[in-house]
Amino acid sequence: MKFLYEKDLRQMKYNILTSTKHDETVRAIAERLGMSDAKLRMVLIRRFDMSLLENLESRWQMGQRHADDGDPVAEELGYELFTRFIPLMDTETMQTIYGDTTAMTREMPFEEAIAKGKERIREAIRS
Amino acid sequence: MKKTVDVSIPLGPMHPCWKEPVRLKCETAGERVLRAEVELGYMKKGIERIMQGRPWQEVMFLAERVCGICSVIHNMVFIETMEKISDIEVPPRAAYLRVVVNELDRIASHILANFSYCYTIEHETLAMYLLNTRETVLDNLERITGSRINTAYMIPGGVRFDLQPGDAAALLADLAKVEEEMKRYVRIFETGPLIALRSKGIGYMSREDAIRAYTVGPTARASGVEDSDLRLRHPTYRELGFTQITRTEGDNFARIMVRFQEVFQSIDLIRKCVDTLPEGPIRGGGLCKAGEASYSGEAPRGELTYTIRTDEYGRVLDIAIRTPSIMNIEACAHFMVEDATSIADVTSTFISSDPCIACNER
Repeated sequence: MKFLYEKDLRQMKYNILTSTKHDETVRAIAERLGMSDAKLRMVLIRRFDMSLLENLESRWQMGQRHADDGDPVAEELGYELFTRFIPLMDTETMQTIYGDTTAMTREMPFEEAIAKGKERIREAIRS
Repeated sequence: MKKTVDVSIPLGPMHPCWKEPVRLKCETAGERVLRAEVELGYMKKGIERIMQGRPWQEVMFLAERVCGICSVIHNMVFIETMEKISDIEVPPRAAYLRVVVNELDRIASHILANFSYCYTIEHETLAMYLLNTRETVLDNLERITGSRINTAYMIPGGVRFDLQPGDAAALLADLAKVEEEMKRYVRIFETGPLIALRSKGIGYMSREDAIRAYTVGPTARASGVEDSDLRLRHPTYRELGFTQITRTEGDNFARIMVRFQEVFQSIDLIRKCVDTLPEGPIRGGGLCKAGEASYSGEAPRGELTYTIRTDEYGRVLDIAIRTPSIMNIEACAHFMVEDATSIADVTSTFISSDPCIACNER
């Protein structure tokens, strides 16, 4: 017997993400990460529970207000934003990417290093 | 969430301590709660979708039906958003009357929240005392607005009914009674050794975590988040000299005590409004126009935001409601309940954050 509450929650989660404000937020996060909206939605549905999805917009706002103040590399990569506020990655992976990107900024132009760092972030999120 | 342990304990969707259906899935190791996940979707109303395309006169009534516990603030924030879009001024008397009704609703909501908590920790005597006192508050709400719950008291440019002199006297007399009773209940709550055992140091959430999840209302204020009460920015409340109540313990006890303290604060605000009620009309008039605005007000549970887009006839083309419970439930599941030492504390901690599932599943 399959109970109602054991059902697949994908449709409900998708409904949350496609409401007016959430849709705006998902598009903003996807743009920041440089990935497609659909791909990001899929990742969010897979990783986040429903309350976290409902709270996505508020967390995004708080992240923009409070995360990564001062450090330009952390700010560009979204170090705290994507680990503490929108927990798409674990802190260890982000720390590794952050360390490598900081090292790269000494060897190549800042933008190029950040672009490489962001690519690794996208890979980590997709995996 | 990936399942990492063998024992996953579901609380709800139907649970004796829950007022509304929600499922809290706890992953445990023995008595220890490793993490918790909230499952929603048992009472989705789709009310935002129903509101779309309707005139504001209909949406006004729908707005207060988002939540049955804090219906007045839904009415107030919706109307104030419409006023913001249409540049409608509110007469001073009406602005004060709005505060009176809003604070009565806040008292009723806070008492109900604390009733639920006391009931959950099995202190039913105090819980029933609180419910009894809440009736007096609801009687006054009915006397002023004509209804206990869905009052539809506020309209663009004013309020629907004036406060009659006899009603004002009865309100002040009842508030004195409520204050006296509440002082006794707070003393019982503060000094009860078994209450302390179930409340102090349980469900702790730090200030940093509260900020991270954008926790709002008494839940945030109990964790020491400053400037987290939107009444500080509301013009009428500023005139009344409103100050925020904050505690720093961040546990279940603090969350309940903040609500108790806010009840006394609301009583004082109502008294101040009644004593200094300006003379004049209660309705200024004005037409709802086309535009788009986002406006937030302080609901009993925290920040309530309405984002509305209207056409030239005042029809609501698009609406998005962000209710405080969304943030508080998320914070509860991911910070307060996580790492709890006993599964028995999960229910009381969840209730201490005053979750409103009706608000969450609009």
